[in-house]
Amino acid sequence: MIRNYIKIAFRNILRKKVFSLINIIGLAVGMAACFLIFLYVKFELSYDSFHTKAPHIYRLVTDVKTPSETIHAGITAWPFAPNIKDDFPEVEFFTRVQQTSMLITKDDKKFQEDRVLWADSSFFKMFDFRLIKGDPDKVLKDLFTVVLSKTAAKKYFGDADPMGQSISLYDYYPAAITGVMEDIPENSQIKADIIVSMSSLTQTIIPGLDEQWSNFDAVSYLQLKPGVDPRALERKFPAFLERRNGKEMEKSQMFFTLYLEPLKFVYLFSKRESNIEKGNITNVYIFSVIAAFILLIAYINFINLTTARSVERAKEVGIRKVVGAEKNQLVKQFIGESLMLSLFAFVLALILTALLLPLFNQLAGKTISTGIFDNYNYLLLLFTLAIGAGLMAGIYPALVLSSFKPITVLKGRFATSSKGIVLRKGLVITQFAISIALIIGTIVVYKQMTFMRSHDLGFAKDQMLVLDTQGDAAKDALTQEISKLPGIKGTTLSSSVPGGSHSTAYSEIENSNGDLQVANLDLFFVDFDYIPQYQIQLVAGRPFSREFGMDTTEAMVINEAAVKYFGYPSAHKAIGKKFKQWGREGKIIGVVKDFHFKSLQEQIEPLSMRIEPSRSYLISVQVAAGNLPASIAAIESKWKTLISNRPFSYYFLNEFFDRQYRSEERFGKLFLNFAILAILISCLGLLGLASYSTIQRTKEIGIRKVMGASINNIIGLLSKDFLLLILIAFFIAAPLAWYFMNQWLQDFAYRINIAWWVFVVAGLLALLTALITISFQAIKAALMNPVKSLRTE
Amino acid sequence: MIELQHISKWYNVGGKPVFILKDINLKVKEGEFISIMGPSGSGKSTLLNIVGMLDMPNEGAYHFFGESVYNLKDKHRNELYKKNIGFIFQAYHLIDELTVYENIETPLLYQNVKSSERKAIVADMLDKFNIVGKKDLFPSQLSGGQQQLVGIVRALIAKPKLLLADEPTGNLNTAQGEEIMQLFQQLNQEEGVTIIQVTHSEKNASYGNRIINLLDGRVEPSLQNASH
Ligand SMILES: Nc1ncnc2c1ncn2[C@@H]1O[C@H](COP(=O)(O)OP(=O)(O)OP(=O)(O)O)[C@@H](O)[C@H]1O
Ligand SMILES: [Mg+2]
Repeated sequence: MIRNYIKIAFRNILRKKVFSLINIIGLAVGMAACFLIFLYVKFELSYDSFHTKAPHIYRLVTDVKTPSETIHAGITAWPFAPNIKDDFPEVEFFTRVQQTSMLITKDDKKFQEDRVLWADSSFFKMFDFRLIKGDPDKVLKDLFTVVLSKTAAKKYFGDADPMGQSISLYDYYPAAITGVMEDIPENSQIKADIIVSMSSLTQTIIPGLDEQWSNFDAVSYLQLKPGVDPRALERKFPAFLERRNGKEMEKSQMFFTLYLEPLKFVYLFSKRESNIEKGNITNVYIFSVIAAFILLIAYINFINLTTARSVERAKEVGIRKVVGAEKNQLVKQFIGESLMLSLFAFVLALILTALLLPLFNQLAGKTISTGIFDNYNYLLLLFTLAIGAGLMAGIYPALVLSSFKPITVLKGRFATSSKGIVLRKGLVITQFAISIALIIGTIVVYKQMTFMRSHDLGFAKDQMLVLDTQGDAAKDALTQEISKLPGIKGTTLSSSVPGGSHSTAYSEIENSNGDLQVANLDLFFVDFDYIPQYQIQLVAGRPFSREFGMDTTEAMVINEAAVKYFGYPSAHKAIGKKFKQWGREGKIIGVVKDFHFKSLQEQIEPLSMRIEPSRSYLISVQVAAGNLPASIAAIESKWKTLISNRPFSYYFLNEFFDRQYRSEERFGKLFLNFAILAILISCLGLLGLASYSTIQRTKEIGIRKVMGASINNIIGLLSKDFLLLILIAFFIAAPLAWYFMNQWLQDFAYRINIAWWVFVVAGLLALLTALITISFQAIKAALMNPVKSLRTE
Repeated sequence: MIELQHISKWYNVGGKPVFILKDINLKVKEGEFISIMGPSGSGKSTLLNIVGMLDMPNEGAYHFFGESVYNLKDKHRNELYKKNIGFIFQAYHLIDELTVYENIETPLLYQNVKSSERKAIVADMLDKFNIVGKKDLFPSQLSGGQQQLVGIVRALIAKPKLLLADEPTGNLNTAQGEEIMQLFQQLNQEEGVTIIQVTHSEKNASYGNRIINLLDGRVEPSLQNASH
């Protein structure tokens, strides 16, 4: 019996090559898209789950309450974690980590390493980063001990054994290699190639760090003993902080509250900032929904094409019933055929997925998977998914087909039930509604990206090179030398550039009531040339000036947002007001117009700027338009003579600023690709449906032509119905897409309004593709010789 | 074997019932060879389909080997049907996607006959009807008469007690029709298969031992009696 079914299914697939191809390809493409997204979602969900102790590991995070606001930080002050470990027996281990960039040298090898991590000695006991060499209990125990990743070990030592050898940190501190670890997997939030013992930082490089209760910079993890309730522990933290740090909190008016976030929660769900890679659960949801939609579209094709073909299969059903088939036997047969098609599609989808995976990795910006066959469990899951969906999609056509009455269908007095037609139309509407919504989404994402890139940021970002001297002693001399080069319009030294990192300082500023108001202010350290070179507009007071000697210590420039924040009705009113910040006191001398020192996702926050040469490491070089390569070459040669021990590197400010939108850009690209896919599959289905409805109407078309209908009449006749469906789909999709894309735009403080034409364009695009698809069939039918088509009836 | 009592069938056309069969009473004994005749549209096919359990009347009772057909569950009725009834059509109605062999084999599949047994039965029948050479051809590769022969073999493959044929020779030429009729007669006489056929041809009808004349959904009484 089964063999008979399979045989028939095979023959049917082969006999109707075009139909089968449309069906299988549509399904396969849909499945492949779904598989890729599945791998992506699985990958995002897998972050940090490979740590066997993950259920017991928590990230310690802090809410900092100042008189004016509450900051939800993902970091802690340095002493928190070690003291909690001392005070609470519930805590098994702790480790603090801090990612940093440093110059590392080994003989003649010299690299500015961006993936260096300070970590406490329990690091390898808590986390499952596998040591190839070295003892997890000992590797990070002593001062200046280092664990290298396999890759880093190879980079510095080649094939030689690095154990016991040493490298030099900051080209200054010798450090011993005590261990080599496997490269940290991609789905780890902590990423590093070189791990240095934390004590080196907190005891030798910055001694006393372990006692600085207000210095927030460490990401801290606690491993609780089995059975410890993290909520109960959390409730003990206020008393702990009061005991250890109560006086200081009172004095600084900064009050801390500590929370524990489960390790596996951190990557995707935590909203707190901590300078480590962060996922986006919304994107995971969005892509899951897109995957479901694409699969839905693909299976709708499947259902539609299969039921549309029921006319052809009706006779077979009738005969089988006459020779004794029961309804459920026929249901089984047709479901079997669906399953077989699904199976073919599944295999094809696997091949497609394997081929597309490298591309998708590139699009996603990380290696979400090295191969679909890496994990047989996934394969099994996908198989179940494909077959399950095939089953679901097969049931309806199977029920329709198997319920035909033999005497009716054998008499040839057969008409598709109106219920079936309504269903098929509904499905086509669903498909196109999804496609149109995705097109609208894509346009909106791209519009927003263009908006962000072309938005006036309030400072000059073009032709601006940034060099990071890492605080080298020769930075001032280098700046001087560069400014003298031809083709250089200006240079300025600062701690931060727009779009980069900057400090947030505990500050007290005189507000409009005359009180010193405590606030956590964003802070840029700059020099005299910064404001003019960046063409940041002054709205009140004056910029920093060499003519005022005290400007280097007692002057502050703030932005308009800060003016508003401290309650002044106008910028002029803020001039001359007192400030205290990080040990300095003085007056506000100027107010600059708000400029986007953060990405456009964020509001412009109150900003303070002060002169502080000792903390200004970045040289911004304004280069004249024209011979850029020559200018860069000249700058490089100056660098090499003055800072010979550091590798030369630079970046363009505009690119650097735009890198903040990289994930949005990726999102946009993925969105675009899936939108194209969706509409492609929908059109494939439409093609199939159109061809079937044309076949069914061959006789009608023939008669109409004999009666004098023109080719255009016929095309219109055949296209009209489908185009109406797309119109309906449009009116369903437009408001939904409008709503959801508006939600998406809420993440951007500066955003576009969705213009009406976006909908028109999306609608027309869908209409056009559908029209082209249908015309293929319609024209073919219209051109057919009527005599021939009538004779075949 | 068959007993129809007060069988009526009607369609509602414009709110009014239009009778296709009206109060049909019919008894068929095992081993009979009956021909149903009547003008076009008189309800012959409808009656045959009702006897063949492919259609249901609006009224009346039907006993098949003493079992009340309309009181049986679907499953039982299907069982009864596929064990006992073979159907032959004017338009042959073979499955285009299957070869001659597979078409013939299909009824056995639905009766869950074992594969080895199936092979033997089909081979036997192919042999008996002289179509071994055609077994791997598809219906489209056969002539009308050959197709009808395959249709008959398929109807007989499960050794039905009742063979129903709706104008089996309608699409065939006289010689082909003759052959089929002789085959029917042979089946009826030598193997005791009960046959009910619908036909327009007096000559074909004469192969049977009873003729039922339908007119406007009623059995013509005189002729029914006359055949007795
Ligand atoms: N669905 C229906 N609705 C209304 N009338 C119907 C329907 N199906 C069949 N009929 C009518 O039932 C009558 C009997 O049909 P049937 O097929 O039994 O006739 P027949 O005697 O076999 O005719 P022929 O010799 O042409 O095959 C016909 O008049 C037909 O019009
Ligand atoms: Mg008839």
